[in-house]
Amino acid sequence: MEKEKQNVLKRIMMIRGMGQVVTVTAGLVVLCIVFGIINPNFFSGRNVGNLLRQIAPILIVGIGQSYVVITANIDLSIGSVMGMSCMISATLMTRGMNPWPAVLITVVICIVTGVLNGFLVAQCKLPPFIATLGTMTVTRGIAQFVNGNYNTDAIGEKAEGFRQFFYYGKTFGFFNTVWIAVILFLLFNFVLSRTRTGRHIYAVGSNIEAAKLSGVNVVIITIKVYVAAAFCACAAGLITCATAGMGTMDAGTSYEMYAVAASVIGGVSPLGGQGLLLGTVIGAAIWGVLQNGLQFVGAPVAIRNIVVGVIVIVSVLLDVLIRSNAPRKRKAK
Amino acid sequence: MEEYIVELKNITKAFPGVLALDKVQFNLKSGEVMALLGENGAGKSTLMKILSGVYSRDAGEMKIFGREVGEMTPRLAQEMGVAIIHQELNMCRHLTVAQNMYLGREIMRAGQVNNRTMNEGAREILGELNIDLDPETVVGDLPVSKQQMVEIAKALSTNAKILIMDEPTSALTAKEIDDLFAIIRKLREDGKGIVYISHRLEELQHIVDRVTIMRDGKYILTGDFRDLTMEEIIAGMVGREIKEKFPRVSCKKGEKILEVRHLNAGRMVRDISFELYEGEIVGFAGLMGAGRTETTRAIFGADPKDSGEIVLEGKTLKISCPEDAIKAGIVLAPEDRKKDGLCTKLSVRDNIALPNLDILCDRLGVVNRNREKEMVSRTVRDLMIRLPGDQVDAGTLSGGNQQKVVVGKWLARNSRVVIFDEPTRGIDVAAKVEIYHLMNQLKARGIGVMFVSSEMPEIMGISDRIIVMCDGRITGELCREDATQDQILTYATRFEKKV
Repeated sequence: MEKEKQNVLKRIMMIRGMGQVVTVTAGLVVLCIVFGIINPNFFSGRNVGNLLRQIAPILIVGIGQSYVVITANIDLSIGSVMGMSCMISATLMTRGMNPWPAVLITVVICIVTGVLNGFLVAQCKLPPFIATLGTMTVTRGIAQFVNGNYNTDAIGEKAEGFRQFFYYGKTFGFFNTVWIAVILFLLFNFVLSRTRTGRHIYAVGSNIEAAKLSGVNVVIITIKVYVAAAFCACAAGLITCATAGMGTMDAGTSYEMYAVAASVIGGVSPLGGQGLLLGTVIGAAIWGVLQNGLQFVGAPVAIRNIVVGVIVIVSVLLDVLIRSNAPRKRKAK
Repeated sequence: MEEYIVELKNITKAFPGVLALDKVQFNLKSGEVMALLGENGAGKSTLMKILSGVYSRDAGEMKIFGREVGEMTPRLAQEMGVAIIHQELNMCRHLTVAQNMYLGREIMRAGQVNNRTMNEGAREILGELNIDLDPETVVGDLPVSKQQMVEIAKALSTNAKILIMDEPTSALTAKEIDDLFAIIRKLREDGKGIVYISHRLEELQHIVDRVTIMRDGKYILTGDFRDLTMEEIIAGMVGREIKEKFPRVSCKKGEKILEVRHLNAGRMVRDISFELYEGEIVGFAGLMGAGRTETTRAIFGADPKDSGEIVLEGKTLKISCPEDAIKAGIVLAPEDRKKDGLCTKLSVRDNIALPNLDILCDRLGVVNRNREKEMVSRTVRDLMIRLPGDQVDAGTLSGGNQQKVVVGKWLARNSRVVIFDEPTRGIDVAAKVEIYHLMNQLKARGIGVMFVSSEMPEIMGISDRIIVMCDGRITGELCREDATQDQILTYATRFEKKV
């Protein structure tokens, strides 16, 4: 029995990239302990509930961005798609549409954006940075345009079900927002680790030429990851809308970068081909804990930004150093 | 006693697992063209990289202009007047001829780049060489032959006295080669020492004074070109005693599996037609750049085709991407395993499973991990890939084991045609023999094997039939019984226009 347990543990550690996840988890635990000592209220049920709800949207966009980053691409349009999702759904609801068809329409529009991103990158061979910079600007423009360059009014009583589903409702003691993030994580993690599509995503990021010669349809895979990113951004946008109870034009600003941060802190290699979604969960949690914890101890916004920025650089720097050192050591042997 | 400007003695260089150079001698006088000859992998390029400071030597003496040189660096080589012109040109395509020639040592005036002086300097050097070129042309707009001349002019503008040319004629037309030779003769008259590496033996008579031959990292001979016959040169290059065993199994030649008809794809694949039968290995011989890799890629759908038909077991296939080829039963183990074959950051298991996920997944696309594990362990066992575990990063394996992974991933499926492109390049003898065994097994199973190799003994030892290519065309076909190295080399150098 004991031995079996050990074997399971060993098997888990054998999963490639798990080492890094363990390291950042240790970092997360240290952070929590430090904040807990400074302010014992950090661990209060109320704060933990809020903290998890704060982490959820970061995690959701982080999952989408991780898909894209594992293929060695990047999606800069995530934050703007979030804003677009927030504004379109809110505008439709304030114009009297039932919330659920409004959600459906929003999802479809966001997915179209994802298809466009993937098409521009894979088929038209635009550099992903440029292609998604373009769609980022366009989708932000749409977010401003849909309600005539104004934030919407409150989405009103008819949308209470919507707000409860995405924001304040609780299931089994946790906010629904958290459950949405958990379900999306489980779904996307399953696809990435257990399905053909997931294997193809890693292969494209590891060596696009070898993937192509192994029969992987690189264009389709690239479109799929951008659609995943857009879908996640859409979900995060709906959550933002439910949180505020209205549509704000600048919703999701900078979230594409938070998403990159969550991915790379969690060990997703910005060079592609490597990383686990579990790492993104930890990355998003570190991000959330830092924001929440620093706020809790009374650090001003400016200091928070500086600390978080430094952490992103350091974690990617570590990744680059480890990677550039490993082959050299091997040669020396 | 004659004065040598370059003297290399007992140069030795080992790479992990391979002794690339074993006590090699080389010398060069001023005002001569020295041909450095040998098969692929004989160590010519390694030797020249040591002379130009790209690699450092493990042992041996180096004297340049009579001066003992300790640690050679690219910078020191440049200062001493050694310049190398690579097969792949190193040019900034968006800059002008003059800007390229003065790259890294721009002439400045008052903190600004002085284009006028650089253009004048460039024009002067080009004029001396009788090269008709405007120094203000953008390099990317020039044909390859002219770019090469710019490289030569650039080398001379740094005051190079020793010029190494690595396969300078491989991309040139007959007329361009004549122009290049005129320049080389001019340089020789000016007292430069020129090292000339080429596979085209028939060009040598036009310019070469002396010859040094290498084989398998060893020095074979040096002599005046006039005193040597072509037969002696070829024998020196290829006539090794074949120590490696080439295992061979005989099979009955069965039905026709594959027929390629009039395949065209760019300049390097022109009107290729051949047939492949059950139970035979067809070798594709030729020099580097003969268009063999391009042919395999065109058949496999990795590169677009211009025209032609591929018929598999009587059915004409429409192959527009590798996926189509794999589904139809044609697979390719590509030449450059790091670039095209292996996902180096993924595990061995992921690499082997990658092209076989269609078999390993259920209808929803979920990987059946038991079936996957079983397939991978069977492949690892069959190919005797030595591994600590199948979750190991494929990039950390030795060359031979990496190659086995690249090849092995295709064996788990029932393919009809397997194409091997240089499957034994850079791997040790034992691993080579294992790869040969594998090809023989496939042949015995009635699978058609296409085998591209630049190593003569291996292609003669393994193939049942040899097709020789040159310049993107098939120039000859030989049965195993009739094939001799001379015959293959003759076909392989049958360029469209003799120089």
